[in-house]
Amino acid sequence: MDTQLFLSGVIFGLSIGSIFFLMAIGLSLCFGLMRVISLDQLLYYSIGAYITYSLSLALGSVWLGVLGGMIMGGLASFAVERFIFRRIYERDVTFSMITTFGILIGGVGIIKSIWGLVPRPVPVPISTQIDIAGTAVPAYRLIVIVVAIAVYGAIWLFLNRTIVGKAIRAGIEDVEHVEGLGINVYRLFTITFIIAGVLSGLAGGLHAPLIMVDPVMGLEVLAFVFMVVIIGGLGSIKGTLVSAFLVGQVVSLGSLVYAPLAQMAPFAIMLLILLLKPTGLYGSPLLKR
Amino acid sequence: MIGALKWWAGPLLAFALLAALRLLLPLAFVIEVLIFSIYTIGCSFLLGRVGFISFGQPAYLAVGAYGTGFYLFYFGTNPYLGLLIGLVSGFVFALAVGPLFVRLRSDYFALVNLALAVIIFYLMQKVLADVTKGDNGLWFLTNIGSTPGLDIARPEGFFVFSLLVGLAVWAFYKYVNDSVFGACCLASKLNEDKLKFLGYGNFGIRLMAFVLANTTSALAGSMYAIYLGFVSPEITSPARAADPVVVTILGGTGSLYGPIIGTLAYTGMKDAISKLVGNWELAIGFLLVFIMLAGEKGIWGTLEPRLQRALSRVKARVAR
Repeated sequence: MDTQLFLSGVIFGLSIGSIFFLMAIGLSLCFGLMRVISLDQLLYYSIGAYITYSLSLALGSVWLGVLGGMIMGGLASFAVERFIFRRIYERDVTFSMITTFGILIGGVGIIKSIWGLVPRPVPVPISTQIDIAGTAVPAYRLIVIVVAIAVYGAIWLFLNRTIVGKAIRAGIEDVEHVEGLGINVYRLFTITFIIAGVLSGLAGGLHAPLIMVDPVMGLEVLAFVFMVVIIGGLGSIKGTLVSAFLVGQVVSLGSLVYAPLAQMAPFAIMLLILLLKPTGLYGSPLLKR
Repeated sequence: MIGALKWWAGPLLAFALLAALRLLLPLAFVIEVLIFSIYTIGCSFLLGRVGFISFGQPAYLAVGAYGTGFYLFYFGTNPYLGLLIGLVSGFVFALAVGPLFVRLRSDYFALVNLALAVIIFYLMQKVLADVTKGDNGLWFLTNIGSTPGLDIARPEGFFVFSLLVGLAVWAFYKYVNDSVFGACCLASKLNEDKLKFLGYGNFGIRLMAFVLANTTSALAGSMYAIYLGFVSPEITSPARAADPVVVTILGGTGSLYGPIIGTLAYTGMKDAISKLVGNWELAIGFLLVFIMLAGEKGIWGTLEPRLQRALSRVKARVAR
C-alpha cells in the first residue's frame, strides 16, 4: 500500500470517526446520567443534515446551515425530552430503547413527508486541498476533525470546570445523592439532553457535505454509532473519543485492504471486545439503578 | 378429556379464526401473517419471559432461510427436508453463539445481536457472494418438487401447512409457558439472585430460552424461503431489525396471542397506510410511542383482561 493512499485513508477515517464521536457523545452522556438509550439522537442527526441542506440552498452558506441544524437539533431534543422522556425516566433501559426507536421511525416519516425520498446533495463549503507530505487532503475533512477535537475539549471543560458540569458528573456517579444535595436533577437531565441534541445536529450538518442527505441516513449510521458507544463503554467520554477514532480507522483502512470488510470488521471487533470485556474499553461496571 | 379440550381451545380458536380470515383477505396476506407471527413469538418469548430484548432476530431468520435455500438451490428438491435443514441449522447456530451472548446484560445483548445481524447481512451480500449470488439472491422456486400428501409447493397447500405449523408452535409455547422451565425463565427475568437461591442456574435457563426462541425464528426463515422460492440478503437487512420487536410490543409483550394480534395489526397497517400515503413509518413510529406511554401492554395485553371479564360474566349468567 503506498503512502499517499494510506495517508488519505487515515484522514478519511479520522473525519468519519469525528462524526461518529459527535453523535456518540450525546448517547453516552444520556446513558451515563439518565440511564436511557436515546436512539432518537439519530433523528436529530438527520434533522441537522436536512436543515443544513435547506438553509445552504436558501442562504448560500453551508456554515449558517450547520448552525441552523444545531439549533433545530437542540429544539427538537428539548421538545422530546419535555413531552416524552419526562414520563419514562423511571422505567427500564429497554423501555427507553423501544420508545426512542418509535420516535426515530416516526421522525423519519416526518422527514420523508417534508423533504421527500430523493437524496439531496449539499455543496462542500471549502474545496481547497491542503498538501501534507505529498498527499492532497481536502481541507474540509481536516476542519471536521478539528471541530470534533474542539468539542471534546469544550465538553471536558464544561464537565470539569463549571458547576453544572460537575453536577452532571456527580449525577453519573449517583443521581440520588445529587438530588439530596438540593440540585434539581430534572433540569440537569434537560440540559444534558439539549447538549446531546445540539451535538447530533452538528454531526448531521458537518456530515451532510460529505454524503448525500437522505431520509434513512440516521438508520444507516445507527449501527456504527452504537458500536462506538459500546466499544468505548457506555457513559465514558474519553472512551467514546478513542473508540470513535478506532472505528473510523477500521472502516477506512479496512476498505483499502478488502472492500467488503469495511462494513463488517468493526462489528467483529465489537463482538471481540465485548466478549473479552463486557463493559467496553473504558466503561465502569455500571450499577443498575 | 375435557381438560385437554380446554387446554387446546385457545390455540385452536386462534388458528380457526386465522383460517377464517382466508375467506375475507387475499391468501398472500394471511400466509404472511402466519409466518410473521411464528417469527415474532420467539422474540416475544425472549422479551416477555426472559427479559432479553433482541434487535438481531433477522440474523436467525436469515440462518434458517439460507439453510433451506442452500439445500434447495444446490442439492435437493424436497421442501420438507429443506425445512428440516433450515430448522437444524438455526438450532446449531443459536447453540453456537448462545453461550457467548446470554452472559451479557440486557442492553448490551440487544446491541450485540444487532451487530450479528449486520455481520450476517454483509457476509451474505459480499463475502460469500460466490455461493449466495450476492444481492440477486438464490432463486429456486422451480427446484421445489411437489410432495405427496400435503403439497407445500403450491400456495394453498402451503397455507394449510403453515396453519398446522403455527398451531404446533403455539401449543408448544403454551406448554413451555406452563412448565417449570417457563416459570424459571420468568424468575430469571424478575430476580436472578433468588432463582439462584432456589437452586437453578441462570445461565442454563437463559441459554435454553435463547436457543428455543431463535430456532423458532429460523423456522420462520425456512418457511419464508419455501413460500417465496428465493432468499436474498434483504431478509437480514439492518433496517428491518426492529420489526419483530415492534410487533411484539404492539401485540403485548410475553402474552401468548400477542404476536398474532400484533402481526395482524402491523401487516394490515403497513398495507393500508402504504396504499394511502406511502409513509407508514410515521404511523408505526407514533403508535409505538403512544403504546409505550399508555402502559406498554399492547393491543392483546389491553384486550385480554376485558375479554376474560366478559367471558366470566357470560358464564355466571349461564350458570344462573
